[in-house]
Amino acid sequence: MLQIKELKAGIEGNQILKGINLEVNAGEIHAIMGPNGSGKSTLSAVIAGKEEYEVEGGTISFDGKNLLELDPEERAHNGIFLSFQYPVEIPGISVSNFIKTSITEKRKAQGLQTLPTKDLLKMMREKMELLSIKKGYLSRNMNEGFSGGEKKRNEIFQMAMLEPKLAILDETDSGLDIDALRIVANGVNKLRTGDNATIVITHYQRLLDYIVPDFVHVLHNGRIIKSGGKELALELEEKGYDWITKEADKKWA
Amino acid sequence: MGLIKNIKSYSEGIQISAEKREILTSFLSNGFPTTKDEEWKYTSLKKVIANEYSIENKGEIIDSSIIEKYSLGLKNKIIFSDGKLINTPIIKGVNINDFSEFESANTDSILQLNKALSQNGFTISVEKNTVLESPIEILFFSTTVNGFSQYRNQISIGENSEVKFIERLQNLNNSASFVNHFTQINCAKNTKVEYNKIQNNTAESQLIDTMNVYQEQDSTCNINTLIFGGSFIRNNLNFEQNGSNCESNMNGVSILNNNQLADNHTFVDHKSAHCRSNEMYKGVYLDNSKGVFNGKIMVRPDAQKIDAFQSNNNLLLSDTSSIDSKPQLEIYADDVKCSHGCTIGQLDDDALFYMRSRGIGIEEAKAVLTYAFASEAIENISVEQVKTLAKKLLAKKLNVDLDFSL
Ligand SMILES: Nc1ncnc2c1ncn2[C@@H]1O[C@H](COP(=O)(O)OP(=O)(O)OP(=O)(O)O)[C@@H](O)[C@H]1O
Ligand SMILES: [Mg+2]
Repeated sequence: MLQIKELKAGIEGNQILKGINLEVNAGEIHAIMGPNGSGKSTLSAVIAGKEEYEVEGGTISFDGKNLLELDPEERAHNGIFLSFQYPVEIPGISVSNFIKTSITEKRKAQGLQTLPTKDLLKMMREKMELLSIKKGYLSRNMNEGFSGGEKKRNEIFQMAMLEPKLAILDETDSGLDIDALRIVANGVNKLRTGDNATIVITHYQRLLDYIVPDFVHVLHNGRIIKSGGKELALELEEKGYDWITKEADKKWA
Repeated sequence: MGLIKNIKSYSEGIQISAEKREILTSFLSNGFPTTKDEEWKYTSLKKVIANEYSIENKGEIIDSSIIEKYSLGLKNKIIFSDGKLINTPIIKGVNINDFSEFESANTDSILQLNKALSQNGFTISVEKNTVLESPIEILFFSTTVNGFSQYRNQISIGENSEVKFIERLQNLNNSASFVNHFTQINCAKNTKVEYNKIQNNTAESQLIDTMNVYQEQDSTCNINTLIFGGSFIRNNLNFEQNGSNCESNMNGVSILNNNQLADNHTFVDHKSAHCRSNEMYKGVYLDNSKGVFNGKIMVRPDAQKIDAFQSNNNLLLSDTSSIDSKPQLEIYADDVKCSHGCTIGQLDDDALFYMRSRGIGIEEAKAVLTYAFASEAIENISVEQVKTLAKKLLAKKLNVDLDFSL
């Protein structure tokens, strides 16, 4: 589904991603871990199409398409969804209106008819129930004044509404209380099918108890320096990053 | 000299009182303000008055379908066609009449001209204790090609009354019309007034709109100005608070493109203690459009415990658009809360990316963010139909098809 080859990207001449290789297939869950500032959010932003970052080399293909040629909205229409580490506040536009616009635009791009309001509301209610979201929240302005946890839950709510092929969850767990973590993880699991895939970026093994990854990657200084199965996360939890980063630093020095 | 010459030859052929003749003479010797005038520093009338205008209006009959097209569908409609009053609603407690003479502070040459030659406009007097549920819609249609029109309107609101108005000036051709519009509102004790101006005239239209509001104690007056269409718009909005516990509110939204110019000059004269004023002007500028904002707040020596708030926020969405914004505070009392702020910015890139990553196309995303930017002022409007129209016009102006109602 997603193939990243030798991806190099940076900002203002400062290289952040220094040659990323990653392959994600339908049905898989990949976890990306790594120290602060290693490039995890940059990688997700580059996949989602943030123009601020300059791609200096390498390729990203998604379902056979050259992703790097597409605008962010086109990537979304093709099924990519990024749950932001820091969701943005959009004053003046309600959650329901935002989601409606977003779904309408996606359907338009896919050549589908606009979803009748009635069906849209029904779908919203279902997904809200799935994520234990209170009703009044639909009429609030997008992320405005939301608590950290509420913002994250709102991200997953949008993901549930948009039903992406590839969801990238950038530290969706940080800011969530223990119950919310379980609810959100449960939601993510329920939305899984054999056709979609998830990349989970996290610092904590705890989330991976709920969303069990098929692969765990360690990102350090713009490179994936180690990949393994779910046991790698446990090992990292126990030993920290030092034992692998030191070795990598020597190699790339 | 286009307009001045037109005015001269027009005035030679009409009968006016000696007093008016004197005012006219004074206008003719002063001429229109120039950019040397402090109040007109950023807004030049040069091109506007260089045009030739036709001053005598014809007064054509207007088809009801046209009225419908520009009306918000409210049942109380006052309609003018080329200065002629063609429809007045019958409302209990409200007397609506054609033009009548009234005194005004002729502070500038534009008002002198209005006083000297204007013979059109409405006179509304609302009796005491009249609370109107449905707003009064006022439509001024013009069919004259390159017409120069002057309206002179007066509204008196009796004690304890509440009324809302919606005003719209509409050209029925695409010529470069020019309107010198003047409205005076007297708000008696304990009144509530809301006046909505929909300034969405044809592309070449030009307007100077002056409104003087006089408030007595315990009155609240809200003036909302929505600027979408017209090549040249200058609004002079003046409040005078003459009693305690008055509140003056102004909301303004300008969405300009092409070579449009919109200038909002506001003046709140706090003459009494324990009063408030709130003003919020939002401007969005595309292409080569230009905005001017000048907000003057005067707090007189005896006007203690004044709360005055002013904000002017602007979005410049092109490299060639501009805004000149100037707050002007003159405070002569010491126990006063006065705040003002002016911002000039672009759309937030992070917000744009956030929306695009959710599948919202860049144009729509910009429109949504622009709407969000302006909505704070739009949401202060209490007439639902005006709010909806503002949202529609905004979407249209930004060239997107957005449905804001869910
Ligand atoms: N817009 C930017 N401008 C300047 N530097 C940036 C920008 N975005 C990222 N960087 C730098 O790139 C590096 C990687 O940042 P990134 O946000 O991708 O890290 P991360 O792995 O997500 O970290 P964290 O675990 O703290 O979220 C950091 O050194 C960061 O300062
Ligand atoms: Mg990050």
